[in-house]
Amino acid sequence: MGLAEMLAPSGREYFALFEQAGTNVMRAADLLEQMLASYPDRRELATDILVCEHEGDRITHELINHLNNTFVTPIDREDIYRLAGALDNIVDYIEEVADYMGLYRVEAPMAQAQQMSKILRRSCEQIADSLPLLRGFQDISRHTIEINRLENEGDRLTREAMAALFDNGIDPMVVIRWKDLYERLEGAIDATEDVANIMENIVIKNR
Amino acid sequence: MIDRDAGFIQVLRRRLLDRGWDHTITAGAVSPEALIRMRLNALVIDITVLGPDCWPYLESVCTRLPGLAVIVCTGPSSVAQRVRGLRLGVDAWVTKPCHPEELLSVVEAALRRHRRAELAVLEPPTVAGEVMIRHELHQAFVGEVSVGLTAREFEILQLLVQSDRVLRREEIYQRIWGYTMAHGDRSVDVFVRKLRQKLRLASPGWDYIHTHFGVGYRFEPVGEESGLPGESPEPLAAPQTTRSQVVYTGLPDS
Repeated sequence: MGLAEMLAPSGREYFALFEQAGTNVMRAADLLEQMLASYPDRRELATDILVCEHEGDRITHELINHLNNTFVTPIDREDIYRLAGALDNIVDYIEEVADYMGLYRVEAPMAQAQQMSKILRRSCEQIADSLPLLRGFQDISRHTIEINRLENEGDRLTREAMAALFDNGIDPMVVIRWKDLYERLEGAIDATEDVANIMENIVIKNR
Repeated sequence: MIDRDAGFIQVLRRRLLDRGWDHTITAGAVSPEALIRMRLNALVIDITVLGPDCWPYLESVCTRLPGLAVIVCTGPSSVAQRVRGLRLGVDAWVTKPCHPEELLSVVEAALRRHRRAELAVLEPPTVAGEVMIRHELHQAFVGEVSVGLTAREFEILQLLVQSDRVLRREEIYQRIWGYTMAHGDRSVDVFVRKLRQKLRLASPGWDYIHTHFGVGYRFEPVGEESGLPGESPEPLAAPQTTRSQVVYTGLPDS
């Protein structure tokens, strides 16, 4: 990397990497939705999700390396770091859900988990659509509003799903497994809201 | 008996001889194949002899020899260990130190339970459409070919066959899993789907399990050539739609 490149505030690489991360998040969420919708027939999709998780780590490392090698950045260093981390969190949660389905020997899905994965996928779609708009710090409010709405819906679903686990007479093993899985799904949906908040903050600061 | 506790073996051997029970005592694992050849009624095992390999061993013995009474007689153990053993198919768990008479009574009780279960073997097979349900083998067959059902799939099939009405998902779950079904749990749907796939593969041209949307499932063998509306333009041909019937064929072949 030349001196001029280190000093010039060219953000192409950062934005390109964020867009890659957005596509990766979207793919992971889509795979999880498919996996839960057809569970247990397509359990092997967990392997594809793991590939997404590795890809997410690669992109995050590349972003951080890039950050360490440049003096001037197109947006605050802290924002780049936070956004990279938040995007990575989504894929980490998704991978955990897919992995724990196998680890906990889950025989069949829960309808609520299928609905939550649908919400997660839709929220990730919004992220993937809004990340390219960051290049020109364009208005992303319609995406962030939708992500917030989806997060609220996710919260409601999680609470209902959790409450259903504590009805009388339910197998304690089912409760242990699904309480944990619901929490991870909720974690993934919450992480999409974190991403939306960070993106919103970046746009407000740089417009 | 698989044990290395010399003192306990000595006391027990005397009582076994007094009762005239044929027995063999070994200090290591005996393969399930060898156990089959020995034609045993009961196996008493101290799991400490096998170390950490005891769990796969117990699973393998209990699965391969469902008619064998398996009694674990071992030193102090945790609740988790006892629950795990019993869930793998062990009939009883006796904690050492114990009186040999107590152990022998537990063996006798386990043998009584097994004999009662053997009497149930006489339950005749059920024929539904092209499928013959062999209760004693825990399996369904089309002709001589096994449908390849897992234990749970078979239990669901058996439950549906024995009922002449629509069974609600919650009811099926409660009867098969033994717990209340959590709202949203798709277990019944998943297992019925697998069951249908296997039945469809073994008996193409027949529908056995019918979905009642939002309610549950009903068993009724329906041949696709039976001329049901919209199903086939072909004229009626045997076999026609038949409700399951019980066929008395005596004892099982195998």
